[in-house]
Amino acid sequence: MTTYCVPGSISEALEILGRYDGDALIIAGGTDVLPDIRKGKRSPRCLVDITHIPGLDQITVAREYVEVGAAVTFSALAQHPYLQSHVQALVDAAAAVGSADIQNAATWAGNLVQALPAADGAVVALALEAQVLVHDKDGMRGLPVARLFAGPGRSFVDPTRQIITAVRFRIPERPWGTGWRRIGRRDSLVLPILNCATVLELAGGHIIRAAIALGPVAPTPFRATAAEEFLIGQPPGDEAFAEAARLVQRESNPRSSRARASREYRLAALPALVLDALTLASRRAQEKLELQRRERTG
Amino acid sequence: MPISFTVNHRPATTAADPAVPLLRVLREELGLTGTKQGCDEEGECGACTVLLDGQPVRACLTAVGKVAGRTVLTVEGLGGADHLDSVQEAFIAAGAVQCGYCTPGMLMAAKALLDREPNPSEIDILDALDGHLCRCTGYASIIRAVKLAAAPPPTIPSGADRRADSVDKVTGRARYVEDIPMPAMLYAAVLRSPHPHARLLTLTTDRAAQMPGVVRVFTAADIPGINGFPSYSQEEPVLTPVGQTVRMIGAPVALLVAQTPQAAAAALKNIEANYEVLPHTYEVDEALDTGAYPIAGTKNILTTFQVRHGDIDSAMGSAAEVVAARYETAYLAHGAIEREAVLGYLDDESRITVIGGNHEPHNQQGYIADVLGLQREQVRVIQPPTGGSFGSRQDPWPFVAVGLMVYHLRQPVRLVYTRRESFDAAPKRHPYKTDIRIGATRDGRLTAIQENILANTGAYDSGGQFIPNFAVTASGGPYRWQAVDATATTVYTNGCKAGQFRGFGTSQAVFATECALDELVQRLRMDPLEFRLQNRLLQGERSFLGYPVADSLGFEQALEALRPHYDAYSAEAKAFNEESDGSMRRAVGLAGMWYRFGKSGTLRVEAYAELARDGGLVIYCSAPDYGQGTNTSMNQIAAAALGVPRENVTLVNADSARVPDSGIQGASRATFFVGGAVSLAAENLKNAILGVAAEMLDVAPDQLQLTGAGVTATGDPTRLVTLVEIAREFDRIGKSRRLAGVFDLSDRFPAGMRPEYLPLFVTGAQVAQVQVDLRTGEARVVRVAAAHDVGRVVNRTDARGQVEGAIVMGLGAALMEEYLPGETTGFRNYYLPTIKAIPQMDIVLVEVPSIFSPLGVKGLGEAPLLPATPAIINGISRAIGVRLRTIPATPERVLAAILGKP
Ligand code: FES
Ligand code: FES
Repeated sequence: MTTYCVPGSISEALEILGRYDGDALIIAGGTDVLPDIRKGKRSPRCLVDITHIPGLDQITVAREYVEVGAAVTFSALAQHPYLQSHVQALVDAAAAVGSADIQNAATWAGNLVQALPAADGAVVALALEAQVLVHDKDGMRGLPVARLFAGPGRSFVDPTRQIITAVRFRIPERPWGTGWRRIGRRDSLVLPILNCATVLELAGGHIIRAAIALGPVAPTPFRATAAEEFLIGQPPGDEAFAEAARLVQRESNPRSSRARASREYRLAALPALVLDALTLASRRAQEKLELQRRERTG
Repeated sequence: MPISFTVNHRPATTAADPAVPLLRVLREELGLTGTKQGCDEEGECGACTVLLDGQPVRACLTAVGKVAGRTVLTVEGLGGADHLDSVQEAFIAAGAVQCGYCTPGMLMAAKALLDREPNPSEIDILDALDGHLCRCTGYASIIRAVKLAAAPPPTIPSGADRRADSVDKVTGRARYVEDIPMPAMLYAAVLRSPHPHARLLTLTTDRAAQMPGVVRVFTAADIPGINGFPSYSQEEPVLTPVGQTVRMIGAPVALLVAQTPQAAAAALKNIEANYEVLPHTYEVDEALDTGAYPIAGTKNILTTFQVRHGDIDSAMGSAAEVVAARYETAYLAHGAIEREAVLGYLDDESRITVIGGNHEPHNQQGYIADVLGLQREQVRVIQPPTGGSFGSRQDPWPFVAVGLMVYHLRQPVRLVYTRRESFDAAPKRHPYKTDIRIGATRDGRLTAIQENILANTGAYDSGGQFIPNFAVTASGGPYRWQAVDATATTVYTNGCKAGQFRGFGTSQAVFATECALDELVQRLRMDPLEFRLQNRLLQGERSFLGYPVADSLGFEQALEALRPHYDAYSAEAKAFNEESDGSMRRAVGLAGMWYRFGKSGTLRVEAYAELARDGGLVIYCSAPDYGQGTNTSMNQIAAAALGVPRENVTLVNADSARVPDSGIQGASRATFFVGGAVSLAAENLKNAILGVAAEMLDVAPDQLQLTGAGVTATGDPTRLVTLVEIAREFDRIGKSRRLAGVFDLSDRFPAGMRPEYLPLFVTGAQVAQVQVDLRTGEARVVRVAAAHDVGRVVNRTDARGQVEGAIVMGLGAALMEEYLPGETTGFRNYYLPTIKAIPQMDIVLVEVPSIFSPLGVKGLGEAPLLPATPAIINGISRAIGVRLRTIPATPERVLAAILGKP
């Protein structure tokens, strides 16, 4: 018989994990954990449900960053007004996970711990250069999402000994925009053939920062750094984006899957996906630029 | 520590392990079986959705520990039969309940949406219902239902078309096989071959039999009668004996019965089976190779059928344009949301009684009796509410397996496939490879058709022996040909056995013909609609099969009904393309079809109508309802013939012990044949009742009127006798209160006439507007218009629902569905269309009555699937300017075609 614990604080949760010494498991929504238990992939003696810890269900929008608590569901993310108007890629990615009733339970933090190479939450987190706040017996630290993934389905956070309490990402100072694009064998309840999240920051008519994240084109969610570097200093537009897309194609190394798509297809479709996501991000950044301009003149 | 929570406004407590899914506690402990399970508790189907504190969640992914102190609402808590919630009312009124298996999950998701957003937009509705799989409705009626529930005040229509069983299905009261409680129930699990082809060398069951909770293990040696059901499937054993070969992954080797499903599943691993692995293939071309390893049949061939007439060489020679190509379709799974589930027990007459969704209770009765070495009368088969079939539930295997276990154990036994098992072992749709050559003259007259179809029947016959005839017949279409040479062959491979699937071998053939026709039309630079009109077969003309078709053909009417849609879609596509930057392109595809319905069983079908002693009007017939709605249509037909309201008619349907045998219900024959017999029986009963009442009232029968309660004299309602009094009078004068209705076509189609199947045809056509991203190959279907000749409409809501469901099923086949033996494990990698994939649908029901039916009806259930896939593929081919000949048209295939890769 499994024990089900509902700690009221992070320290209490850590105390339980310590007591079970590897036999307890953190759950939030539990939507990934339950099938794992049924299949015998995990057999915890204790489930530690963190969704009742005060504050973990909060989305905090500060001046410089956004912090999403570990108990915030994908539905709550997708319905958040600030995110809806400023971080559309995150909203779109949240709405791509499973289905509405799965989004009502599943969390961004949980999605990150699963570390699947195509996890929608992971790809968008990578593009946002998010970090997770990890608590364990040694204290708390921030771990960049880029350093979270150990391999397909393996993360450096151990949910039997550590707790992710929040996901945090920086709000750029300059006008910025995000883009999201996904190709799948159908619209929902399916892992993507390809997904892509982009972030662009503009200043003086040029791109000053670019982030392009993709899945599944490598064993873990992937940052297309060569394309990003190329974009810096370029004026946003079809020409630059098309070249960036070509560079992404060159640095990606996808695999073939019988049920989804071949490596060849993924490589061939990738440029359009990247182009679309960059175009979206650029349009949104320019809208903000326009808004700023109007605010200044008005 | 027990977990307490609130369910449906009442307190509940469970001692279950908190890591157990809420779904199991609801169904198994609390008896709330309204919440359904359609996948292996993996969140892949949405049938299990309940509200947790008002929010929809999947009960199979929710640890019961999580609900402590919280509030759960299931479908049973939504509203009972006498106080339905408006969303339940709306689902019934909009015809959104077909088999009903997805319904509880859909209702809960819709309820939460409407509570949150009383006036939801179309997008809100799609978002809320997304990820809930429905295989029956094509989702359109469900969307209409949610809109109807939101429209204040709910404008609920009168309900002439209301489904007979829909109140049970929206309240969670309908008892499907998995929901039926039985004392002392035992649970079965099946040991299946992990190899696609192997010889079973040894089989040791002792260790498994000693496991905790295990009652008994059965092998081939335990079969008292025939190890198989050869009249349905040649050379398919119930259980493979030691020394013989298993021919597919999932082939059954042993049955294990235990006290709980968990104990059965756990013990299965302890049966030791040793195999010698043999070479295998999933491809027909390889199986036909001269050096191919023998799988079954003669040279791996099951059956062949050919149609040949006219001078093929000169007809082909006279063509100005000839299209010759190979078309390929994939293995498809039926994807009914209820898994294969059968329950057996001894009834109060000690008969081996088996309950399970099927198409032919009397045939199943016969298969079971043969396997057990019993007389038919010692076996009974009953149709319960069933969560969809599409042909899958014709498989006798689960019936004979359960019969065997009950025979030995004399105790109730339930067998439920896992979803994985359903993919591994339940029959599939035959993949085809069709080499086709067709020609036409410069002015667009079809000359000749030459084709060779190879149908992959997989490891076992499973009814595949009849496929070639259906394939060839359908491939000719409602067109005039000068010469025909068409052959189809079913070939054994080591893929999953292929069996009955909506359309029974015709869709794949129509796909090849209609795509080839479109290619020909494009080469001739003609209009696809005009071309089909010009070449259409006329009533009485020699058909593709070489003989004339006597019945009416509504093909012309269907095409004409489509024309405005075709024109509008084409104009819209043109405007779209002019606006587009070139990355997206729209185009319109068209396809026609004919379908020979009514194939199976005899030409003579019987039904009874009875005036019960209590004055009830009761119909006895066999038209199994697996979700398509025959319970309703038979009720409607009987009520119409009797001239009474539907509520006054009781239906006893599809119970081998109580109703006459109507043969296998397939090929869309129910309304035509059984409906015909029901109508005649009801008419006979009405006349008999009026005759007796006339004597009692001393009024001429034509001056009398039958109502639900009695008979009154026209114009003088005070002169009446009740049905109870009339029943008593029947008994007094010794007149039978049960009358037969016999619908018999044997004299219309005398023996010795050429076809072994009836020349009864339905026709129709569809147009699809598609949109393709030319850079990624992603294709969407934007709009579909369908026009089908149904003879005469019995239930407009249901007829529309059948067409919409078929279109979306055809869309799945066109764009996404493909079963891969051994690799497809669940709905996560078998892609049924989800709600956001559906097009706008315009449905036209054309009514050109059949001359052979007293009701004028024709068969509808399967026909609309046939043109959907080729219409969509023709649209994509036109959009990308390259011919697609292999489906599904995944983004990968479409992009490869655009880029000119093979
Ligand atoms: S049973 Fe829960 S989603 Fe399928
Ligand atoms: S009515 Fe939806 S699955 Fe049958």
